[in-house]
Amino acid sequence: MDAKLKETILNPIFKGNPITVLVLGICSSLAVTVTMKGALVMALSVIVVTGISSLILSLLRNTIPGRVRIIVQLVVVAMMVILVDQILKSFEATYAIDKQLSVYIGLIITNCIVMGRIEAFALGNKPWPSFLDGVANGAGYGMILLIVAFFRELLGSGTLFGIDILNRFGYVPNNLVILPPFALILLGCIVWVQRSIQKDLQEK
Amino acid sequence: MNTNNNLYTVIYTTLIVVVVAALLAFVSQSLKGKQDANEKADTISQMLTAAQFGTKAEFQKIGNAAVLAKYAEEIGQAFTVNVNGEKVKDLDLTKVYSPKELKRQNYNIKGGANKTGEPEIPVFVFKNGKTVVPIYGAGLWGPVWGYIAFEKDLKTIAGAYFDHESETAGLGAKIKDDPAFQAEFVGEKPAFTEANVFDIVKGGSPKEGDAEIMDNKIDAITGATMTSNGLDAAIDTWLGAYAKYFTSAAPACEKACCQEGGEGDCEGDKDCENKEVEE
Repeated sequence: MDAKLKETILNPIFKGNPITVLVLGICSSLAVTVTMKGALVMALSVIVVTGISSLILSLLRNTIPGRVRIIVQLVVVAMMVILVDQILKSFEATYAIDKQLSVYIGLIITNCIVMGRIEAFALGNKPWPSFLDGVANGAGYGMILLIVAFFRELLGSGTLFGIDILNRFGYVPNNLVILPPFALILLGCIVWVQRSIQKDLQEK
Repeated sequence: MNTNNNLYTVIYTTLIVVVVAALLAFVSQSLKGKQDANEKADTISQMLTAAQFGTKAEFQKIGNAAVLAKYAEEIGQAFTVNVNGEKVKDLDLTKVYSPKELKRQNYNIKGGANKTGEPEIPVFVFKNGKTVVPIYGAGLWGPVWGYIAFEKDLKTIAGAYFDHESETAGLGAKIKDDPAFQAEFVGEKPAFTEANVFDIVKGGSPKEGDAEIMDNKIDAITGATMTSNGLDAAIDTWLGAYAKYFTSAAPACEKACCQEGGEGDCEGDKDCENKEVEE
């Protein structure tokens, strides 16, 4: 694998993470991180949507009329989001989780990461790198989601993936952790940690 | 190729929209059966949870097929009633009222521009005598609905389960996620004869010593005033619509002669016979 492709995959995971560095997709990362299960399903859904939308639009990139390109992008992304939602609703195992995520699956379409990567990358690159770029950005987003959800579920409910971890030791779940403001505080802490490791992100 | 040509742009966008629409229509149609089955099992598990046959989490664990089997085993009869408490028609025991149908009936009860006909609201009577009725209304962000189960006397609430589309997680969503909130309903007695059938109040339901008074009031959810008010209105509207059914079907067997171990001659007591038919 050549260096450029490797960079495409690794950059969004840490150095150019869509949430902590580009500060995209904040809204849903506050909303769906109450439980690990919800965060995991959301992360996988976003990976599928960003990956496949980038792939389709990269394939179409030379045929899309410049004046309506945003509309064409929207149509493709919306299609992917609806497909993901429909599929989640059809399986017994994911029906309940889809219900819990409710509007946020549909709101993937407004997630800036999806449109951002298509505009910035997929429209100017070949299909395979575009697909990888989409998947990697979805994964970078999903990783932060899972980190936030880990702390929120552990401290807010005393469980992980619904399995009791802390409650058996007499832990009293902290209600503040369940509320969105705590997710923002946690996210701030993650950005703080990343910026102290990655000095070039600090403003002079 | 000149992709900025007007004709090209129009044809291109038309084509892509048609292709996407066709694909989505196809997927939606082919998955509809499975989605409906999931929704039906979910609705049934909500009714079973309200009637205290188990918890929602348990029903989720055992899967759709087992939930349907449990329902088939426990359900006694199902029928619709009108606002005068008269039975309209029997319902197929294998079918349930989806939230969509509840929404339609909600319009019918409340009247107004969206009314499509006279209200026909379902009553589900289980073999153990518990009666389950649905409620439906508006929360803060979207609809809230649920099921309230009554004891055999049709006066005392045996249990309740509520669901919502998009209430705030951790606040309004507690109507669904907090078993303690749902447990508050148990033992309460809605005032069917009054205009205000049930109340979800701020500041707590009045208590006498340690024993909670079983009246028609429960404590609202802190930080979820709009959801609590919405649920309160939904319960008032729906139980209000059922009030005549409950008052006409219930008191019949309150007479001492009809209660277990009660004394007296029940034969020839028309009300009691009716009651037995109802069950």
